[in-house]
Amino acid sequence: MSYLRKHAALFLGATFLATSCFTSPALSEERPDVTVAVQQIVNAGALDVLREQSNVGARVFYSIFETLIDYDRQQPDLPQKPGLATEWKRIDDKTVELKLRPDVKFHNGDVMTADDVVFTFSKERFGQLDEQEAARKEGSTLFTNTASSNSVGKVPPAEVAAVAKRAWPNLDRVEKVDDMTVRFVSTVPDPTLEGRISRYGAEILSKRAYEEAESWLDFARKPVGTGPYKVVDFKPDNVLVLEAHDAYWGGEPPIKTLRFVVVPEVASRVNGLLSGEYQFITDVPPDQIKTIEDDAKFEVVGGPITNHRLMVFDKNNGPMQNPKIRQAMTHAIDRDTIVNALWGDRTAVPAGLQWEYYGDMYLSDWTVPEYDLELAMKLVQESGYNGEPIIMRVLNNYYTNQVSTAQINAEAFRQIGLNIQMEMKENWQQIFDTESGPRMVRDWSNSAPFPDPVSSIVNQHCQNGQQQQVGEWTNEEFNELCIKLETSTNLDERRAAFQRMLEIAEREDPAYTVLHQSAIFYGKPKNIDWTWSGLQSMDFRGDNFKVNDLAN
Amino acid sequence: MLRYTLLRIFRALITVTLIVSLAFVILRMSGDPAIIILGPEAPPEAYAAFRANWGLDQPIWIQYLKYFGAVSQGDLGNSMRDGRSALQVVGERVPLTLAITIPALLLKILIGLPAGICAALYRNTYIDRLIMTVSVMGFTVPSFVLGLVLALIFAVKLGWLPSGGSDTWQHAILPILTMGLIGAAVIARFTRSAMLEVLGQPYIRSASAKGLVWRDVVTSHALPNAAIPTLTIVGFMVGSLVAGAVVVESVFSWPGVGRLLVTAVANRDLAVVQVILLFIGFTMVFANLTVDLLYGWVDPRLRTKQLQAGS
Repeated sequence: MSYLRKHAALFLGATFLATSCFTSPALSEERPDVTVAVQQIVNAGALDVLREQSNVGARVFYSIFETLIDYDRQQPDLPQKPGLATEWKRIDDKTVELKLRPDVKFHNGDVMTADDVVFTFSKERFGQLDEQEAARKEGSTLFTNTASSNSVGKVPPAEVAAVAKRAWPNLDRVEKVDDMTVRFVSTVPDPTLEGRISRYGAEILSKRAYEEAESWLDFARKPVGTGPYKVVDFKPDNVLVLEAHDAYWGGEPPIKTLRFVVVPEVASRVNGLLSGEYQFITDVPPDQIKTIEDDAKFEVVGGPITNHRLMVFDKNNGPMQNPKIRQAMTHAIDRDTIVNALWGDRTAVPAGLQWEYYGDMYLSDWTVPEYDLELAMKLVQESGYNGEPIIMRVLNNYYTNQVSTAQINAEAFRQIGLNIQMEMKENWQQIFDTESGPRMVRDWSNSAPFPDPVSSIVNQHCQNGQQQQVGEWTNEEFNELCIKLETSTNLDERRAAFQRMLEIAEREDPAYTVLHQSAIFYGKPKNIDWTWSGLQSMDFRGDNFKVNDLAN
Repeated sequence: MLRYTLLRIFRALITVTLIVSLAFVILRMSGDPAIIILGPEAPPEAYAAFRANWGLDQPIWIQYLKYFGAVSQGDLGNSMRDGRSALQVVGERVPLTLAITIPALLLKILIGLPAGICAALYRNTYIDRLIMTVSVMGFTVPSFVLGLVLALIFAVKLGWLPSGGSDTWQHAILPILTMGLIGAAVIARFTRSAMLEVLGQPYIRSASAKGLVWRDVVTSHALPNAAIPTLTIVGFMVGSLVAGAVVVESVFSWPGVGRLLVTAVANRDLAVVQVILLFIGFTMVFANLTVDLLYGWVDPRLRTKQLQAGS
């Protein structure tokens, strides 16, 4: 027994010495562990930027992955800045050349080279190879595809291929010039190439790690990127545990273990923040801000993001066929009151479906339709409206304050003489459904994943966008302008096309109307210095996270 | 007896099949997993690819037949969110749920049973009124309200316990307490009324008249006869062990079957919902069967009737 005790003591002593000698206190002790309570980590159950198309994924992915061109994410105008590429230049209107940042290490220790970049944008990674298509078809067996489709073999789900195709509609190839230089070549002149290279969905992956993973799902559960934190554990709907990637090119990450935990209930997230269980909580609704800030140790930060809330029209049915009715509705919405009453003025009414970070493509003299009830009533009269019901389909607060916003708007529409009927729906399929009754008005939001109108108005409202694909709206002139906006390299021509598209879609033949800019709020202790981003990502790099006083 | 048991199992299988069929039709008719899982901003091609990959573009009756064909071969399908086996997805959540529902069940019995007996024995006294007042409060307060109040007191104000999560055993205390207190109130009320009914029976008066000590009258005559209704309600609680914590798991961010069920239904992740329903169905059936058998053990008169029904 004494022998055992003696050896145990020796072992413990040796362990202590080894730990003291080989572990830097700066790395293991001084850095805090941080827990972020989120409503959901990812909706699609996997950490693949080409599968996860929701806003929620954006906030975790920036800790794991990086793009070649990045943004100064804490600046309001979101200027582009070097990311995994240090510089880039236009070779011609179809080609962009990028110099890669040297000594960038992936989470598996590999140094990033042009091969990784080429692979990230390859047909294999996009799941677009013929054999991958064939494997998917073979594996599809109605809810029970245990054979080969989603989880077995290096075959991404079919939607990955579709999302990649949409993100890169004209990409011909990415070619390696040398180990540290790559070229993106488009099939047609593409003024948005730099924007696409910087967008969500263009994050660089480790080629070796992807090839060594047993399946797409294995990689998507523990992906290998270059971000400041690496994935240790991911349990969908429960927890994502990240650990500091100490070889990060941007310097040692300030957090030792970063955990994102799923806490669906707002009240539980607030309780957890106030009790010290979580250091950050996300998706704080405006009506909870006071509850948090009543405690002097906590604050709520956040504001408008690159996403606008819209009301969308289906111009095929009933009174909605008349553009005057749609125009009247756009003038009956008191956007300022909505922003003031429901958001406490913490967000803004934007200048239509555009963001200032569009830079040269931002149309500063454009506005949303002015709030003018008299004009709205006049338009209703001119339309010859006979009191037919107008159905508004609404989800139960899928978007923050969605129901209250819909109720305010419905009252305004009634005030101008429209017979509005609000129908509460449970999910998006019921919103889009055409068999249960005429589809007329619904809610939506549009993001701008890169600084160009192509990322929003073209992606969502042109021929290949959702609104036209589901058959809600189309306009011949608008569609011709879509092509011009997407392929012209002349700035003036593009600005004119965009201006005319906004005139058509927001004024003359309304496809949608912008309600307000979406906003996200985070609760956190005041002693943590951290700045939120309009791009919806949460940045926990060294220059954006600092704990001032660990005792508090 | 064997025939009786087999008959019950056969009936249970039919019930479970009906539940699963109904859930299949309702879930498929009321939502498209492609839009829900991929989100409203995903490109239409992605929706189409998703639907084709999972066979959602085929007529519902073909989907139904194929699903049951696969189930009959033991293939319960995969989660549409990540392609993993639905059985595996659900299976890894079951222990977490049982980790709070079993202690909660014990707490319900340990508090509810003595409280109900006590209230009946001291009928119309301040003890009875106190117990019943607390019981009515527990009975009427929704679990999410009690859960949040407990979290506010013990986590936010006092800082004694964590407010949510499942990392340590301390994280389980508040969920167990929430379910235990509410369940105890239910058991107390049932036990009290059952005891009162029995205490008014002639054989209790006879036993007292024979000169038996009151304690013996209660333990030997009243309690066994009052056990049947209490056994029924406890059996129901046992049947709810797997999915009886939906609200509490959401309030305390406890990653169990209940929360998985909410997510899976919201996402129309059909295979996962079906596996959970099968789990719930079989747990209920097993609990009911056990309770039926226990009836016979507790009350020999019922055993004779069961045997007659089975023969």
